Amino acid sequence: MSTAHTPPAPAQPDAPARFGTDHLVYVFLVAIFAWVAARFFDGGVPVVAAGLVAALVPRQHGRGVRIPLAIIAGLLALFVVRMWPEAEDAPFHPGGAESRHLLSWIVGLPIGGAAVVLLLPREATGALKGFTLTLMLATLALTIPLLAVPMGRGYHFDQDVVWLARFGIHYHVAVDGISLWLVLLTVFITPIAAYASFGSIEARMKDWCFSLLLLEAGMLGSFVALDLFLFYVFWELMLIPMYVMIGVWGGTNRIRSAIKFFLYTMFGSVLMLAAILYIAYQYAQASGGQPSFDYFELQRLMIPRHVQVWLWAAFTLAFIIKVPMFPVHTWLPDAHTEAPTAGSVILAAVMLKMGTYGYLRYSLGLFPEAATEFGTNLAGVAVLGGIVYAALCAWRQEDVKRLIAYSSVAHLGYVMLGIFALTQASLEGSVLQMVNHGISTGMLFLLFGVIYDRRHTRHIDAFGGLAKPMPVYATLFVVATLASVGLPGTNGFVGEFMVITGTFASNKLGHFNGLQAVGAAVGVILGAVYMLMVVQKMFFGPVVKKENRRLPDLTGRELLSLAPLAMMVFVIGLFPNVLLSQVKGAVTRVRNDYDARLDKNPAPRYYEGPIKLTPLRPEAPAAVAAAALQAQAAQAPGEGH
Amino acid sequence: MDQTISIALGLSPLVVVGVGALLLMLVEAFSKQRTGMAMGAAVVLFTAAVFATSLWLLGMENVEGVQSVAPWLILDRFTLFFDVLLCLGGGISALLAGGYLAEHHIERGEFYALLLFATFGAMMLAAAGDALTLFLGLETMSIGAYALTAFRRASPRAAEGALKYFLLGSFAAAILIYGFALLYGATGHTDLAGIGAAARGAHARTPLLIVGASLVLVGLAFKVSAVPFHMWTPDAYEGAPTPATTFMAVAVKAGAFAMLLRVLVLSLGDDAWRSWAAGWPPVVATLAALTMTVANLVAGRQESVKRMLAYSSIAHAGYALVGVTAIMREPTEATASVLYYLLAYTVSTAGAFGSLILCGSHGREAVSYDDLSGIGKRHPAVALAFSLFLVSLAGVPPTAGFFGKWYVFKSAIDAGLYWLAILGFVNSVIGAYYYLRVLVYMYMREPAAGAPVAVPMRSTYVTTALVVSAVLVLALGLAPTRSLDAASTAAIFGSAG
Repeated sequence: MSTAHTPPAPAQPDAPARFGTDHLVYVFLVAIFAWVAARFFDGGVPVVAAGLVAALVPRQHGRGVRIPLAIIAGLLALFVVRMWPEAEDAPFHPGGAESRHLLSWIVGLPIGGAAVVLLLPREATGALKGFTLTLMLATLALTIPLLAVPMGRGYHFDQDVVWLARFGIHYHVAVDGISLWLVLLTVFITPIAAYASFGSIEARMKDWCFSLLLLEAGMLGSFVALDLFLFYVFWELMLIPMYVMIGVWGGTNRIRSAIKFFLYTMFGSVLMLAAILYIAYQYAQASGGQPSFDYFELQRLMIPRHVQVWLWAAFTLAFIIKVPMFPVHTWLPDAHTEAPTAGSVILAAVMLKMGTYGYLRYSLGLFPEAATEFGTNLAGVAVLGGIVYAALCAWRQEDVKRLIAYSSVAHLGYVMLGIFALTQASLEGSVLQMVNHGISTGMLFLLFGVIYDRRHTRHIDAFGGLAKPMPVYATLFVVATLASVGLPGTNGFVGEFMVITGTFASNKLGHFNGLQAVGAAVGVILGAVYMLMVVQKMFFGPVVKKENRRLPDLTGRELLSLAPLAMMVFVIGLFPNVLLSQVKGAVTRVRNDYDARLDKNPAPRYYEGPIKLTPLRPEAPAAVAAAALQAQAAQAPGEGH
Repeated sequence: MDQTISIALGLSPLVVVGVGALLLMLVEAFSKQRTGMAMGAAVVLFTAAVFATSLWLLGMENVEGVQSVAPWLILDRFTLFFDVLLCLGGGISALLAGGYLAEHHIERGEFYALLLFATFGAMMLAAAGDALTLFLGLETMSIGAYALTAFRRASPRAAEGALKYFLLGSFAAAILIYGFALLYGATGHTDLAGIGAAARGAHARTPLLIVGASLVLVGLAFKVSAVPFHMWTPDAYEGAPTPATTFMAVAVKAGAFAMLLRVLVLSLGDDAWRSWAAGWPPVVATLAALTMTVANLVAGRQESVKRMLAYSSIAHAGYALVGVTAIMREPTEATASVLYYLLAYTVSTAGAFGSLILCGSHGREAVSYDDLSGIGKRHPAVALAFSLFLVSLAGVPPTAGFFGKWYVFKSAIDAGLYWLAILGFVNSVIGAYYYLRVLVYMYMREPAAGAPVAVPMRSTYVTTALVVSAVLVLALGLAPTRSLDAASTAAIFGSAG
């Protein structure tokens, strides 16, 4: 079996004395892997994928690169096979109940790790790196059981513990089909970014590891929190590590960018905190006693227009600053330009999704009427200000990082447009596009980090003809570009296509949905223009600059961090159903909730009268826990104050 | 139990601090030993805190005869809460002084005696139920604080600050006592509850009463250093040795708030006085709005960290005043939020000043932002502690400061003061700017080439104080249930009267 995928021996064995043992270990590991794959999983496909990738790795790289890449490829193939919607095999843990503590472990592991990092000695950079990476991979491993559960319409791995009884604050976490992929994206991207950064960052490794772990915990926590208070705590927890990352390890103008980033985000989030407090207070009034910050409880509030508009605005402002949408996007190019590579990757790949996810879950979930009324206008902003304007801005940039940052604004315009359009296809496309953008833009930033480490300039004219000295690098850059542009077969295509078709079919966008879909399609063309322009200027043509003539190609570390992303581009591009099958149910639920809420109210579509609670939906996971509470509320006299 | 003994038990926190202050003064006079004074003061204060905690657990209502000292001194859970708070603030200040004074060679024993007397005054202030005892407590506290400000005798800055503080403080006290005199004229009472009973209802609103109440409010606003009565604060805070600044920012301010809460709830606490249309809430709301906004804007423009922290303490008084305004709707809940806020503010501010002390050493005190450049790289532990306290002051979860702010703004929203709450939120963003600026200097800047760098001092006292504060900041942020319950229990007073 192992002969099938044993690649030809590397051309230059580095140390002949160690060759024998190395070789043995290599064969042994591959054999074990092949045996495990064939014995427990679906045999052939992963092994073939692993062998293929191992053979494709450029010759100059040793086994240290080849083996991990083969394993990653095998695992990804396994992932596709197991997650295939029609797969009839038993899940990973047959009959295993959902663990109530799994999500807490996933969030808690990086936090605990951050605390341990504080105790490690500052000089032991090797131990710090190893520890951080191991912990992140352990977190990644912990998320695998999440995949074993078919998500359907519900929430899973629900854990609800009272935190502060006096204020009705709970520690409530769960995942559904939407947050599942964002959690996975986070645990997938963070170790890659960390690993890549260990090659380029040398100063203050301890602080760096601490920030990375805390950041990961904050992001994971925000995605799984279902208590608005808890969500806010995690939301703010992300802010400081990212601020420190930009400010300490960033470029020349880093301090200004870091402060700008912090103040923009904080301004939005304090208004959201005010709205959270207000809505909890209104809940206490309506239920006649206990306030609650629980998402499911607050979803039951019927809120009249004059209140709802303001609450929606406060939440939405916080989210569109984070996305970011025109006209509050100006912090993003600065932050991206100055951030270190890993910071840019995490910022673009995961943190921006916090805005789109937050809008989908909270603005739309809690205030559907206001979201309908203003969604139409915001969709126009997303198309004109986001997709088209940002694309034009990107076109004019001389600074490559700035260009990629503007392309982020444009790509997230699609995500927002899909959410505003609110059809099944567009919503699924939006969720998919969140993951896609994380992968392709994350990869672009990582790729640019590679050349930045060699040349220390971001100016596009400093490059040219790089394909000659760095062929592997150029290939991967083209792959990422095509994914970002949305070429069929890559991941970007599926998401954008679904969003655009969904927008055409939408009845939520007023009279202009056709026009908006056309605008989005124009954006695709513009995207191709500016991205291909970058590729052309950077990689093709003659090598003009003398410094570029002898640039070394990708190192093992760089290849190892980039290749998983490149594989994901094709995995999602060719097998989008693997993701969409899990997303579908959750999206259907979002739409049903939304329709049920809007059908209840008469023509102007706003509830009128004092704020009150609708009866609890029986399928909500909080229903059982809240039944006792509701019984108490029923005893309390009178609902309307 | 004999009633006298039982009253002594009720008064034990006060007694411990008072006797401790006298003993410390004697030790100072007759002993050559200097190094143990800080320890002595801290032990006295923490012992008093332990006494107060025991009384809390025992329940004041189970101690016979404590009601008989009312209305001179009201011994209830409100008093005990403040006793613990003040002893904590005073104790941390004493520990900081132990390191700071020795390092800067100004170790003189009277500092601790003065500190204890001032704490004693503040505790008396928290317990006072009568204008007379209130004034006694206020003056005991203030005179101690004036002397502490001028402690560095040779420094003109200290003399200037102390003189300003003394003059304006005396004016404030005079205005306050004049207000009480008018209130006495209008109602025939000097005890706060009596004034409250006589001032009830619209028919009691004589011009005399209104002028008296206004003067009292002005005097109180001086003492909590609300804008526009804050002019003395930055100079006094900057001129005083940093442990004395800590003490003023923490204990003196808490004492002033105790006085403010007592007067507003007991004397001006009926529905008419608490109404927006015909009572004090618009005045306090305006003070709160002005205090937050002006102090935050000015703090952002300071070049000295110490002065920035002084303005920040004014801004925090503004946030606490937001909670005080909320008394208009839900007296107990709003009072509880102010109490909790003061607790969170005490540990965060004491920690922040303590970190600033730790950043400097003899001959090179850390004062300006530039002094802090690169501390994060050279002395990571100090910088981490400083960051924690600043993050707490900025109100970022999961720290004590976040819960404090959250609770205060929550009670403002519950009271329908939406504009004030939103203004408060916007202000906390402005506040975040200048707190972060310290982080910027500590972590992201390098000291200019050739510039003398501040070398952190080494002191077990200061380190202990910082560890205590840091543990409390995190504990209050992560598991605030106990302290929140304590604050709401302490907030129940006088609402029936």
